[in-house]
Amino acid sequence: MRSRDSCRNLKTMLIQGFHLSQTDASGLPILEDTYFSFPEGSYTVLLSENVLASTVFLKMLAGEYRPAAGTLRIDHQDPYTFSSSQKRRWISEVGVVFSDFKLFLDRTVEENILFTLRAKGFWDEQSLGAVEVLLSRAGLADKAKSLPEALTEGEKQLVMVLRAMIFRPRLLLADDPFLGVEGSAFGILFKFLWELNKTGTTIVISARQASFLEEVKKTGESLKLRWVQIDGGKIYILEEKVS
Amino acid sequence: MNFISRLGYVIKEGFLQVIRAGGLSVAVVVIVAATLLQLSLFLGVSRVLDHAFSSANQKFEMAVFLSAATTQADTARIQDLLSHDARVASFQLVTKEAALQEFRKDPSIDQMVRALGENPLTDSFTVVLKNEATGQADSLAADLKKESRVEEVSYGKGEWETVSNLARVIRWAGLLMASLVFLTALFIVANTLTLALWARREDMLSMVRLGAPVWMRWGPYLCEGIFQGLMGSVIVMVFLEATRRAAGAALQKYSGFDLLATLPAQDWFSLYLHLMVIGMVIGMLGAFWALQKKWVKELL
Repeated sequence: MRSRDSCRNLKTMLIQGFHLSQTDASGLPILEDTYFSFPEGSYTVLLSENVLASTVFLKMLAGEYRPAAGTLRIDHQDPYTFSSSQKRRWISEVGVVFSDFKLFLDRTVEENILFTLRAKGFWDEQSLGAVEVLLSRAGLADKAKSLPEALTEGEKQLVMVLRAMIFRPRLLLADDPFLGVEGSAFGILFKFLWELNKTGTTIVISARQASFLEEVKKTGESLKLRWVQIDGGKIYILEEKVS
Repeated sequence: MNFISRLGYVIKEGFLQVIRAGGLSVAVVVIVAATLLQLSLFLGVSRVLDHAFSSANQKFEMAVFLSAATTQADTARIQDLLSHDARVASFQLVTKEAALQEFRKDPSIDQMVRALGENPLTDSFTVVLKNEATGQADSLAADLKKESRVEEVSYGKGEWETVSNLARVIRWAGLLMASLVFLTALFIVANTLTLALWARREDMLSMVRLGAPVWMRWGPYLCEGIFQGLMGSVIVMVFLEATRRAAGAALQKYSGFDLLATLPAQDWFSLYLHLMVIGMVIGMLGAFWALQKKWVKELL
């Protein structure tokens, strides 16, 4: 089995779909006999008229919704054939942000983020320091000891993303992570994700095209994103350069 | 260091979850306390019976009556026989004169003896059996009866067996009832904890999505059950100790005999220790049972 670093150097295809079909909970088709591939280290933005389609697609990549037909390959393996220990290992390398993936309401902001590090096996005292630094950079240092109920929706969203990215996952799947995040918080979050991607993390996020593009342009970053649209059961790569 | 940190995490989270669960925690603690109270009744009765039976065993005596024709040499031979018998703890010769003197303390018997004009009693031995030999009373009696000068051996065989059997039946019935109460409590605790898990299913799903290992997901729940069981047992221990003191004093005052005081302090301590362990086991098994529910397993 190749090490994590060697995988990155080889730029292997991290995620691939072959003849993939998927439906939503009501049985309506989202993907029909589709092919796609997301290279390792890429930053992909999913666009869809149907918001549910992006959510289902991301959950399928996270190993939560089994495809109706076809094959999904992650590091050349089908996550839906993983044993429970393989699945746990896979999950431990994936950061997810979903709308139904709430913060722990009875833990402080700091404890919420620290939980991720604990779950990944980081029990040293430096972990807490890392959380403090991250919160400070995110402008949430004064909210570290607050419970989630004391945060605005945008701040909650920011904390959820921080929770998913603090351990530098190989893959970050985020369903509309910028939802409700405005102004300087958008810039901070965008910068964090951009820096994470530069360290080698593959990022797949869904976003509402118009507002997202507008905010991205405000950051003044010259960046390279892969824009992907899910439409009529197919996946289209739109363009790679934003500005 | 890591192990201690993780253990500390599980204990801390378990305790915090007891507080977070609020009303459901109170329900579990009350159920465990009610169960332990019933169990303590069975365990208490069983212990008092055991103690009483054991005390009676220690005083197990038999009377060996000699015939009127027994000579001093015969008596000495039987004395020698008893002193070398491994089943005998101690024995004492009761002469017919000493026995008559004892009988005459009752005025009606004294009158009868006066009417007879002579001592109708014979010499006898009071034999105390060793604790471990009380079950061999029959064989000792049979051996003694082989002696030509031994007329009768009396040790209340029938009564002894009845009491012994009754104690055994009570003990087994108590054990059966206690087991039923234990299982019922386990079932109720498991279902109450399942409700607590259901209320926290989103958190559980989040833990899975964050890749938390099994011990991190299960540990705090099992620890929560143990804490709730411990709380229930502490309540019962305090209640029982207060009751023991109050009831003991009342029994002493009104009947002149404190039945509860017949049980030594270390037996009470042992009873409390048992209750504490049983309480924690009920809590832990209840939590484990709750974690075995299909929907919980699918989630975790």
